[in-house]
Amino acid sequence: MSQLATDEPAPVAPAGPQVGADEWVARQAQRREYLPSWLGGTERLVEKVGWWPRLGLAAAAGLVLPLLHVGQFQLQVGIDSLVLALLALGLNVTVGWAGLLDLGYVAFFGFGAYGFALVSSDQLSAQGVHWPAYFSIPVVVVATGLLGLLVGLPSRRLSGDYLAIITLFFGEAFYEITNTVASSKLGGEDGIVGIDPIRGFGVQLLSTEQYYYLMVIFVVGAMIVLRLLEFSRTGRSWRAIRDDPLAASAMTISVDKVKLMAFAFGAMVAGLAGTEFAAQQVSIAPTDFTTQYLIMIYACLILGGAGSIGGAVAGALVLNVVLDGILRNPTYTGYLFYGLIVIALLVKLRPWRRLALVAGSTIVFGYALHAIAAAISHSWVSGSLQSGGWIASALRGWVIVPASATGPGDWGFVLLICMLIALAQVHGRTRTLLLVPTIYLAAFTWETLLGTPTNASITRYIIIAVVLIVMMIARPQGLLGTRRVEVPT
Amino acid sequence: MSFFLQELVNGVTTGALYALIALGFSMVYGVLKLLNFAHGDLYMVGGYIGFFIIRWFGGAAKLFIPVPLLVTIMFVAAAVVVGGLGVAMERFAYRPLRNAPRIAPLITAIGISFFLENAALLLFGAQYRVYNTPDFISYSSGIQIGSVSIDSVQIMVLVMGLFIMIGLQQLINRTKLGKQMRAVAADREAAEMFGINVNFTIAAVFFLGSALAGVAGVMAGLLFNTVYNTIGFLAGLKAFTAAVVGGIGSIPGAMLGGLMIGIAESFITGYISSIYVDLIVFGILIVVMLVRPTGLLGRAQLQKV
Amino acid sequence: MTAPSQPASPPQEGQQPLLALDKLSLGFGGLRALADLDLQVRDREIVSMIGPNGAGKSTVFNVITGIYRPTAGDVRFAGGSIVGRPPHIIARHGIARTFQSLRLFMNMSVLENVLAATYGSTRASPVESVLRLPRHRREERQNRVLAHDILAFFGQRLAGYRWDQPAYSLSYANRRRLEIARALATKPKLLLLDEPAAGMNPTETHEITELIGRLRDELDLTILVIEHDMHVVAGCSDRVLALDHGVKIAEGGFDTVASHPAVVEAYLGRDPEALAAEPGGPGGSPTQGGTKDR
Ligand SMILES: Nc1ncnc2c1ncn2[C@@H]1O[C@H](COP(=O)(O)OP(=O)(O)O)[C@@H](O)[C@H]1O
Ligand SMILES: [Mg+2]
Repeated sequence: MSQLATDEPAPVAPAGPQVGADEWVARQAQRREYLPSWLGGTERLVEKVGWWPRLGLAAAAGLVLPLLHVGQFQLQVGIDSLVLALLALGLNVTVGWAGLLDLGYVAFFGFGAYGFALVSSDQLSAQGVHWPAYFSIPVVVVATGLLGLLVGLPSRRLSGDYLAIITLFFGEAFYEITNTVASSKLGGEDGIVGIDPIRGFGVQLLSTEQYYYLMVIFVVGAMIVLRLLEFSRTGRSWRAIRDDPLAASAMTISVDKVKLMAFAFGAMVAGLAGTEFAAQQVSIAPTDFTTQYLIMIYACLILGGAGSIGGAVAGALVLNVVLDGILRNPTYTGYLFYGLIVIALLVKLRPWRRLALVAGSTIVFGYALHAIAAAISHSWVSGSLQSGGWIASALRGWVIVPASATGPGDWGFVLLICMLIALAQVHGRTRTLLLVPTIYLAAFTWETLLGTPTNASITRYIIIAVVLIVMMIARPQGLLGTRRVEVPT
Repeated sequence: MSFFLQELVNGVTTGALYALIALGFSMVYGVLKLLNFAHGDLYMVGGYIGFFIIRWFGGAAKLFIPVPLLVTIMFVAAAVVVGGLGVAMERFAYRPLRNAPRIAPLITAIGISFFLENAALLLFGAQYRVYNTPDFISYSSGIQIGSVSIDSVQIMVLVMGLFIMIGLQQLINRTKLGKQMRAVAADREAAEMFGINVNFTIAAVFFLGSALAGVAGVMAGLLFNTVYNTIGFLAGLKAFTAAVVGGIGSIPGAMLGGLMIGIAESFITGYISSIYVDLIVFGILIVVMLVRPTGLLGRAQLQKV
Repeated sequence: MTAPSQPASPPQEGQQPLLALDKLSLGFGGLRALADLDLQVRDREIVSMIGPNGAGKSTVFNVITGIYRPTAGDVRFAGGSIVGRPPHIIARHGIARTFQSLRLFMNMSVLENVLAATYGSTRASPVESVLRLPRHRREERQNRVLAHDILAFFGQRLAGYRWDQPAYSLSYANRRRLEIARALATKPKLLLLDEPAAGMNPTETHEITELIGRLRDELDLTILVIEHDMHVVAGCSDRVLALDHGVKIAEGGFDTVASHPAVVEAYLGRDPEALAAEPGGPGGSPTQGGTKDR
């Protein structure tokens, strides 16, 4: 049967199991596209294992990790990643399932953290409030849910875009309230210090390792709860209003109430993450809850796949481990940067002849350029490389690094963006040709600007931004999500 | 009374800035139904362009070209470069998403905004860049009416803002390009069937809207003297509010909304406290959205089923 | 069984109609979409609405289901006025509909589309669902039985393996069927079908005609159907209503309405070619090709 076969049966008497048989759809499983080569193999393997066993394996892996004698730093990265994962899980309810663009989400996280910090520290002792964690966490989580209801109220009347603005403003308002407006109670710029650790029932969590375990438990718990919810009456109604709110209301779904529930649920998860964050950090400040962090949460969800529980968690773990665990170290960062370029070339450039041509020309191009620059002035090539290790020795004599690299680096960056844009415009031979200077320029920009220690944090943000933009175009379903269609109405 | 009038003048000037940003925002929303969150950051880029042009021509204190020429160059360069940036943004980030789920371009817009803010940080540094406007345009050489003074930069902003808005209105209502823009805004598919080059029209809208933001950035630099990489965020947010209060997609609405927000801000700062400005503007937005979701000059549209 | 070609009797005195439209009017800023429309539909009646495109047929559905609010007039369902109620409440009262421009939950599976529509008839809260408490389990079980029964109406068309396919992977005809299935899952008393046979081939159109009859007979539904295909109209309706410019121009049995001068005029005056393409069109024989309900 050809791919073009449709389901329209021949107009003969309808009889037998063949009627209405839709070959194209029936064979959908066989026609599914997988990622290339070994990645596809892994994908198939993962699909064979059901959702619950997969969760079990992942949870076990998470719990075993500290036994491998990892250091405090690695554990802290793990905790931060798990906090992000929890946040991405909550955001997935509002954005991924219900399709409500909540740009004030980070304020719920902040509210949870500030709420816990207020009632479980000496901040309000004068008023006689200093609650134990086992009491304050539920209270704060429920309060965050109520705040979510309040913020979601405008969503009853407003569709997508308007809601985005309102919530964005709400996030900004939260920042200003904590930072300036209510600075006497909330500590202003300095925030709140001396927050209680999690304790109660005779135990007290103090070590990084203990918090790591606690976060694993919370994340796995949230995944279980959300999974049970996803295919229930509530979860279905969330996904229904995302696809078509008007049809949903004609099908007995009270759209307003369902939207509010999505808001409140997302907020509660964020509030929970906030309490853990505050307890573990001991001190919090308004700058922990900025738009930058919001965008980080979004990047995690988009990378992993909006609408997918596993995706939200995987996206957060991957992104944060890469950004925080690896990119802190300039040498590793260099490996990652050049590694990605090489992998991209290996995957995208076919046939091998073309790949060899590009690689060869790039090498020759670099040495030639370096020789010319060195001949003109020694100061043009006398700067030091940012990369260390064997990459540095491989690149020395190839990539130009001027003695004063700042200005050229800036222009290189602008030019690189222009080149990338141009690269997207042209095809065929021109593209192959253009690829050579682009690769060289990328290396140049890295060594002079992006890879420098002073710029490391900015580079990370740029990477987050690029992840968002590129994912939306190239793979909007993210790593683990399923592709969605939307019928324009 | 004179304090009131002075605050009014200041408010109208800031309002003109917001209106310029809101115009571009509203135009883009009109054709693509997209909230371009990166629009405020285009304004920031415009501000930086103005700063570097002053520097290239000798710096505020030691200019080697006449001031009118400098100001002209600043505005033209900001308009062209930022306009081009807007077109590139549309071409490479938004166009691939024309038929994607509604939420996709919004997320892209957040990404672009974040990208621009951090690229500016990388290239221009974290320090405040200062225009030093008084070194080449005297603030005192304005008009004095009683105790109310309107300085020369304010006059320039008001006059230019007025001309730009009138010009834009004429462009949209009188020219062929304007007609095409309105057609695309009303129904993209139908416009395409009537032979309108939709891609070109959308690009033109992005160019115009972004150029306005760039011009506003230069004006802001001249007025407030400083630029840094995150000025776009709040200004963008205020301009969104202006566009929404006026009625999104409506050009006169954007102007009206901009002026209202500017004046409100000025009075809140003057009579209450600058701490509450953003919160109160936020309050205005919520009230307008709940009471009149279509904005003051917007028309209600019933979803066709 | 009322034979569709029999002239329909007007609602009898004393017997309360299930649905009553009373001087219903609606304007869209200058454009008059409905004007003083009266209609009464009795229990277990199948009424068809015909009329050229833009006549206001879909608008009637939108007003009944609460999506548009009428500028004047009243809609009474089972005795009470439902004007001003939000759509989901009206749906819970027992009015279900399909949409002319398909509005499925495209990214949900066939089964989930049907299950989603049981929202109004179920009660389990999120907490009950997460803890898998008895109410959640009971409702899920009942919903599955319901979904099974409903999808069974469509025979092999929406059978078995298709349940877990996303709705967007269905063919156009199957999407129309799924819309009907989803509407049925709200357990309606009155079903509004907006062009259910649009885009279907003759065999499928025939199936739809039979299906409409079966829905009334087996589920005791009252059905209001908008349809351009005169085979369907002739094949299933007890009564036909013709609209033009938002005004009722004829009402009665199929033959009466189809040959009514105003109806012929409305179609001919507008688009004679479209009329010629419809075999059972006004003035033509309703029997050829079309199937009568038994
Ligand atoms: N939301 C709306 N806004 C403006 N006009 C509308 C709207 N909905 C329907 N109309 C107009 O009302 C008239 C009737 O439309 P409709 O009921 O869809 O016709 P049909 O009989 O083909 O189903 C048409 O002229 C249509 O353009
Ligand atoms: Mg219709």
